[in-house]
Amino acid sequence: MWTYEKRLQFPVNIKETCPKTASLIISQFGGPDGELAASMRYLSQRYTMPCKEVGGLLTDIGTEELGHLEMICSIIYQLTKNLSVEQAKTAGFDAYYVDHTSGLWPTAAAGVPFNACEFQSKGDAITDLIEDLAAEQKARTTYDNLIRIIPDPSVREPLKFLRAREVVHFQRFGEALEKIKSDLDAKNFYYFNPEFDKQFVKKPADQG
Amino acid sequence: MADRCNLLQQINEISFTVNDLNLYLDTHPLDENALDAFKQAMEQRKQLLQTYAENFEPLTMNCICPDTNNKSQTKTKYPGQRHFTWSDGPLPWEGGTL
Repeated sequence: MWTYEKRLQFPVNIKETCPKTASLIISQFGGPDGELAASMRYLSQRYTMPCKEVGGLLTDIGTEELGHLEMICSIIYQLTKNLSVEQAKTAGFDAYYVDHTSGLWPTAAAGVPFNACEFQSKGDAITDLIEDLAAEQKARTTYDNLIRIIPDPSVREPLKFLRAREVVHFQRFGEALEKIKSDLDAKNFYYFNPEFDKQFVKKPADQG
Repeated sequence: MADRCNLLQQINEISFTVNDLNLYLDTHPLDENALDAFKQAMEQRKQLLQTYAENFEPLTMNCICPDTNNKSQTKTKYPGQRHFTWSDGPLPWEGGTL
């Protein structure tokens, strides 16, 4: 169950219309390493996690990613809400404008629509957590790239906040991976699936 | 009268503390310092959310109360009328209050 909190995790206040910037940032909404994929990745993977604490962490990070999705959409919305026809025709926003006007629709900057193939839920704890670690780094790289090319401070500040959260999530997923490993036989980490081959996973009584 | 922008900023800051400690405690559930910090921040957050709801609009479902919300009667379509206060205030993506 979820409830809504009527505020952004970090404030977004953009005054200057810039469809070009919006067309780049939209990748963090519906792109391969965007916030929608992040949220769906963690919230899908959590059900079969063999370790309760890691299932809880995936829930909490997946929930925060929904808040990030809302921040990204707010940035795009504020960059395009006063869009003129002249602005829509130029700056690489024309194709998006024809299909969606200024409506929010999840797509990558290069025009590829959002697709569930952009994340994995493999049903293997080690595989999924390593995917999650990589995903946080890929999102961080994307934010680095955006911050390098966007000059407007009112856009940069929320992006810098989001970038910093990727770093924290990477740290927490690293700790989650260690937790899963500590429940496994030290000699057997990588050649069975701890979610399916349960006979190899230590039972709580064995943990001393 | 409390200042809307200032109070919301305080809520954002304390909520960030709660959120970050939440993730830390997910992987360090026995850390005494973090437990104390979480408890303290959570108490402050609840208090600030309550103060904000009394002066302005409720930010969470748990803060909605038609009899005590929005004493300032600002950013509402129904000033002076008993009404469902969840729709008072700006939408978060409008960036209005800061």
